[in-house]
Amino acid sequence: MGRTVRHLFIAGCVLLWLIPLYLLVVNALTPAAEYTGKPEWTVQGFDLVENLRTAWNVAGIGDSFQASLLYAVVCGLAAVLIAAMAAFAVVVLPIPRPAFWFWLIYSGTLFPLQMFLAPLFGLYADANLYDTRLGLMLIYAAWAVPFAFFLIRNQMTTMPPELTEAALIDGASFRRIFWRIHVPLMKAGLAAAFIFQFTAVWNDLLLGITLSRSPDVQPVMAALTTLNNAYSSTGPPVILAGALIVSAPTLLLFLVFRGLFLRGVTASAR
Amino acid sequence: MTEIVTPAQRAAKPVRVRRRVPTRTPHQAARAARGNGRLGGPLAALPWALPAFAFVGVLLVYPFFRSVYDSFFEDNGFTSTFTGFDNYARLADDPIFGRSLLNTLMWVAGTLLLPVLAGLLIAVATHRTRFGGIAQLVIVLPYAISAAATAVLWNFMLTSDGAVNQVLRGVGLDSWAQTWLLEWPQNTLSMIVASTWQATGLNVVLFAIGLRAIPQDTVEAAQLDGASGWRMFRYITLPQLRAVTVVVVGMAIVNSLKAFDMIWILTKGGPSRSSETLALSMYREAFRLFHIGYGSAIALVLSVIVVASSWMYLRRQMPEADARTANAKA
Repeated sequence: MGRTVRHLFIAGCVLLWLIPLYLLVVNALTPAAEYTGKPEWTVQGFDLVENLRTAWNVAGIGDSFQASLLYAVVCGLAAVLIAAMAAFAVVVLPIPRPAFWFWLIYSGTLFPLQMFLAPLFGLYADANLYDTRLGLMLIYAAWAVPFAFFLIRNQMTTMPPELTEAALIDGASFRRIFWRIHVPLMKAGLAAAFIFQFTAVWNDLLLGITLSRSPDVQPVMAALTTLNNAYSSTGPPVILAGALIVSAPTLLLFLVFRGLFLRGVTASAR
Repeated sequence: MTEIVTPAQRAAKPVRVRRRVPTRTPHQAARAARGNGRLGGPLAALPWALPAFAFVGVLLVYPFFRSVYDSFFEDNGFTSTFTGFDNYARLADDPIFGRSLLNTLMWVAGTLLLPVLAGLLIAVATHRTRFGGIAQLVIVLPYAISAAATAVLWNFMLTSDGAVNQVLRGVGLDSWAQTWLLEWPQNTLSMIVASTWQATGLNVVLFAIGLRAIPQDTVEAAQLDGASGWRMFRYITLPQLRAVTVVVVGMAIVNSLKAFDMIWILTKGGPSRSSETLALSMYREAFRLFHIGYGSAIALVLSVIVVASSWMYLRRQMPEADARTANAKA
């Protein structure tokens, strides 16, 4: 590729990728009342705060935001802890038939979510978990465990078994070995797994719209969808402001922990 | 070269980690042979695996089998009667299922063609250039925002008065301006473009990792032999990227089969169910029309396609790496 062609190509791509983002920001700034019905290409005023407030309060993104933050943080942490324990059992401890346990836990990621939805809905209706925060937290944790398990297990197999043996000879209990040796040594891997699961739970739409309905239980992506369905009544600036709100946490995570974030998501590509 | 190198190189590491089958490691086997009770017997490990087993077993494995079972029943949410394979027979005659299957194929083809090709081109073009890191960062940015937010943004761009038509009219291509989301097949095609905008970034990152892993010696040797430009790309770069390509393509297949968020927000599968994919048809049948059994049948068909295609693809692509690598695919 010639240098000029190459640079032109890159510039073109960057432009193509930036235009939608630019439109997102500019139109989220536009005062909702002054929106003409057509996308604005120049800054028409600075009403971002007001649009954000409308999306947050009136459209109920705020309640969902808090709910989703709870789901993503708690379920991400729980999934990583549970998965790390299971990986510890399968890799380090003398569990009978480790392959069976591996496939049992890992099988949870193989199938599309649709395969679990209808029975889950029935299960939740029977157990009074439908439309409760607890219900969503349970399924998010369960959904996040298999993949976190896969990531952590892969990393744990690279640890030299001599470490465990030395600790055993020194008389350390399993719990002590797990918390004092494995967890500290795998800090970066656990963090990458957490970021991956946080992002996955935060971005979920399907489980949210299937298993919940009320605004204070629904996760953000479901709330954004509801807001989007009311397109004509709320107006695009408010909807785009909503899109900005729901993108903020993962975007922030990406910009601050770029290495860990990419390590988490690229690990999904194996 | 630029500032993205360090974190991404760290990111390169797990990709190259050798995967092992979950069997006993030698030291475990040796320990078992010695048979000492220092580890507290074989059941001592069970409590550690139990929470994971409970969560996955109750909330994922059980619903999975329940779904298979339900697909043999005619169920409207109140009554259910056993009908054997009727739901599957109905699939064959259902024109909506046929369209849905066709759309799913379009998604697979489209997401193989666009994001993979664009990802490869952009990664190669930005490799070892001054502002390559920044360009990559811009293109990965949409990946960090969710598919739902992307869909909301593209909805804004694709409506009849949207930005895309504005641009087309602005440059004098009035006849190209159209109702992007209201007619098949351009609604499916537009959504594939929108998802390309979001998904390409990850492929760029993966290909960039692969490019950086190409040994400098190989490139230099090829240069000495007079290879450059296209020949270099065709005979050196591309073969060296094979491992990454396998991963990227495999992931594209699986993700496109599961595509839901983008379509649900942009068209809800409409108008008149013309842009539904299998993932959406299942949702509509089970949760909007309360045909639980029929929905479960669609879900099972989708699952079989997902698992079979990723398995077959990986089997074909890495015959030498044997089944365990294929099995370890996410």
